[in-house]
Amino acid sequence: MDARTLSLPISTLDYKQPATVQVGSLVSDAIDIMQVEGFGCILVVDSEQRLAGILTDRDLLVHICGKQLDPTTVNVEDIMTQDPESLRPSDPIAFALNIMHLGHFRHVPLCIWDEQQQEFPVGMISTRDILEHVAIFIESKEGAV
Amino acid sequence: MLYDMAIDEELAQMDKDAEMSHRALQVSEIQVPLRLIMRDCITIDISTNTQEAIELLIENRIGAASVVENSVLKGIFGERDLLRKVLNKEIGDLTQIPVTQFMKTDPKIASPDDMLDTAVLYMAHGGFRHLPIVDERHNPIGMVSIRDVISYLIEFFPQEVLTLPPTPIRDAFKAREGA
Repeated sequence: MDARTLSLPISTLDYKQPATVQVGSLVSDAIDIMQVEGFGCILVVDSEQRLAGILTDRDLLVHICGKQLDPTTVNVEDIMTQDPESLRPSDPIAFALNIMHLGHFRHVPLCIWDEQQQEFPVGMISTRDILEHVAIFIESKEGAV
Repeated sequence: MLYDMAIDEELAQMDKDAEMSHRALQVSEIQVPLRLIMRDCITIDISTNTQEAIELLIENRIGAASVVENSVLKGIFGERDLLRKVLNKEIGDLTQIPVTQFMKTDPKIASPDDMLDTAVLYMAHGGFRHLPIVDERHNPIGMVSIRDVISYLIEFFPQEVLTLPPTPIRDAFKAREGA
């Protein structure tokens, strides 16, 4: 693993397809999807599938459990982070690390942008994806010794 | 004279930067003892109810904490447990339910003398984000998370990660064509 690895596009990592839910959905619907998919976060999209926000298990801890709210009475847009920072799959891995480190984010949405600069989510990169990349590097070196 | 000195300094920095850009991480450099990178240990007493445990996670801005009985590690409780076992379930009043009902028992642990590469492999294969660090009496003394691994990597490659423009330079070729 070297400095050049960090300049490779994010698409070289095994990033995941995002789970999505529409603006106006209940938080309980988002939780159902996160539980079934085993994801720690879900992207919130508008009726035209443009990225509107991100909802994480941290948001659920703070805004639902912490305030003892009923998730069947709260909409996702009320507790999501609006307009999260996003990247393109073709952007370098270093930018994902930068956003994760400076923003204290575990997940960064990956989007394609149309000519009007509207973002459409196509993936998700997480700190776990980076960790797994490091683990593969460690194992490859250990095997080589 | 001052101008020459400034130019020399700039050239020296450019040489240093060029050298750094070929820097490669060696496995030996991931073999740092966990005691050097672990965070302070936040613990939840085994008698704590689930709502109090939730408030402790929020107040301390942490994703998980060690659950202890007489200072001995009994489990770990965090955001992921809430998502999997509490939310959308017919649980009842969380102030009346002990955190032990939802904590993960017998979590994977490491010693402060174990190395970071071991922790990376534990977390990658075990699918968990937090690794409690315990002493020889099984008392938790710290916690290592995926975030700590990422921070370590970034410290190793500060030039490549921290000195970036606000957004990646995209479509540079197309932009030149239009200029």
